[in-house]
Amino acid sequence: MKNLTVKLIIVLALISVGSGFFLALTYVYTIPHIEANAARDQEIAILETIPGAVSFEEIRGTDFPMYKGLDDGGKTVGFSYMVEGGGFQGMIGLMVGVDPEQEIITGVKLLSHAETPGLGARIGEEAFLGQFLQKPVSDNFEVRDDVDGVTGATVSSKAVATTLKRTLPQALEQYRVSGGAK
Amino acid sequence: MELLLLFISTVLINNFVLSRFLGICPFLGVSKKIEVAFSMGLAATFVMTLSAIATWLVQHYILMPFGMERFLQYGAFILVIAALVQFVEMFLKKTSPALYQSLGIFLPLITTNCAILGFALLSALNGYGLVTSTVFGFGAGVGFTLAISLMAGLRENMEFGDVPEPFKGIPITLITAAIMSMAFMGFSGLIAM
Amino acid sequence: MKASYALFNGLWRENPTFRLVLGMCPTLAVTNAAANGLSMGLATAFVLVGSNMMVAALKKVIPDEVRIPAYVIIIATFVTIADLALAAFFPEMYKVLGLFIPLIVVNCIILARAEAFAAKNTVFMSALDGLGMGLGFTWALTFLGIIREIIGMGSVFGINLFGEGFVSWIIFILPPGAFLTLGLILAFFNAMLSKKKKVQCS
Repeated sequence: MKNLTVKLIIVLALISVGSGFFLALTYVYTIPHIEANAARDQEIAILETIPGAVSFEEIRGTDFPMYKGLDDGGKTVGFSYMVEGGGFQGMIGLMVGVDPEQEIITGVKLLSHAETPGLGARIGEEAFLGQFLQKPVSDNFEVRDDVDGVTGATVSSKAVATTLKRTLPQALEQYRVSGGAK
Repeated sequence: MELLLLFISTVLINNFVLSRFLGICPFLGVSKKIEVAFSMGLAATFVMTLSAIATWLVQHYILMPFGMERFLQYGAFILVIAALVQFVEMFLKKTSPALYQSLGIFLPLITTNCAILGFALLSALNGYGLVTSTVFGFGAGVGFTLAISLMAGLRENMEFGDVPEPFKGIPITLITAAIMSMAFMGFSGLIAM
Repeated sequence: MKASYALFNGLWRENPTFRLVLGMCPTLAVTNAAANGLSMGLATAFVLVGSNMMVAALKKVIPDEVRIPAYVIIIATFVTIADLALAAFFPEMYKVLGLFIPLIVVNCIILARAEAFAAKNTVFMSALDGLGMGLGFTWALTFLGIIREIIGMGSVFGINLFGEGFVSWIIFILPPGAFLTLGLILAFFNAMLSKKKKVQCS
């Protein structure tokens, strides 16, 4: 009986150790790729929302993750920030690019969402997000007023508009305070 | 307040069975009789609430300090859940034979109920704290109990219905689930998150 | 037992989805598009082949009393490998399948095949069985995905079929559509098979 218990423990322990070893190997091999993917996604989202930017720098000490876009001469051409707002079924994550000089939006990109496929999920389409391009930060951001909602997805469309309206002045303010303009 | 909202949204809006498709096997397999289905739901709720605490502790005190949460999480969680189920079974057998009589046979089935592993992973993914995670686990269990009991109630009545031969058994259950799931979709947007 | 039997068994005779009705969670959850069903099926097939081979190789070493925990560890290992590999090399697919990759661990098909087949057969036969079952699961998921994508989005593998004028039934790519499609398909197979049986009887 005692021998059997010992044998059981040894076998399970060996299998666990073997499994841990293989997993550690796989992890070490795949993690650079996984991190590169995440970094590339972030870079694409930031650069796409700031026209003219070829590289970016993180701005520290702000409420949102915020990045300033630099052109090839190293001059700041705008900034973008990451924000989440409540949607129809879950949080909607957005990357918003802003031109701080003219106080207009330079790009909005949908990062993550849990909206209904085929309805709410269409807020990720160019037809919806494109209308925010060149839109002044001080605008109304009301669906059916200055924002065209997606048919059948009023709640999701409103969620994006409200999130933008709520965070844009704040982001602009923080960008200036944190000395991002330097 | 936020915990209450999370609870309601887990039970009704993002119901584990009807909108996240977790725990489908028992939902289809153990939903012929209301009492049985309800006991299964209770057992699952019990284990889920406990495993919420257990997996949270494992995640924060064993996996994360060693930086192993990315590659040992799945194995660690499933073993914790399996061990917990064993432990609950032994504990019930010793302390409460009556409860063991009604829940006992479902406990082994719960280990392979993907709702439990799914919820533990979701909770870790969302970075919930211990209390939030426990409420989430309890809500997920209640939602599962609600769905499986409702389904059992419908199936008890369908016994007397004239179901076409090819639809008998799982197909008609799936189609009933489709209608239930449509009804539950009406809850989405109930809470502005 | 012949190798071809082990390989083709899972494709239809004991098809995990349509005949055994196992592994329903991923079947319903990820089949809102053909490509998702296909990649989920292939990930499951990889885990099935790996865990089947490993269980068969270790069957003499693992004592009966702890075989289930041992199988679970083996399965969890392969699932984590699949998870990391998808995250590293197919990030777009990984984002769509998300939570359902780790849930392969509790997919009943895998433990069932380890217990019912791999624990009694050679490594080679177990690999064939895993491959057959995995491909059976894959075609079932892809089939469901194709039907739901055509009706729900008017496309297959993202290629638009009907042009702009098509009014899609969005319900088919939502949760209710998953239950409905699978229920109808299972009923259809039941009807087909019972007719065949009757013909044989007469």
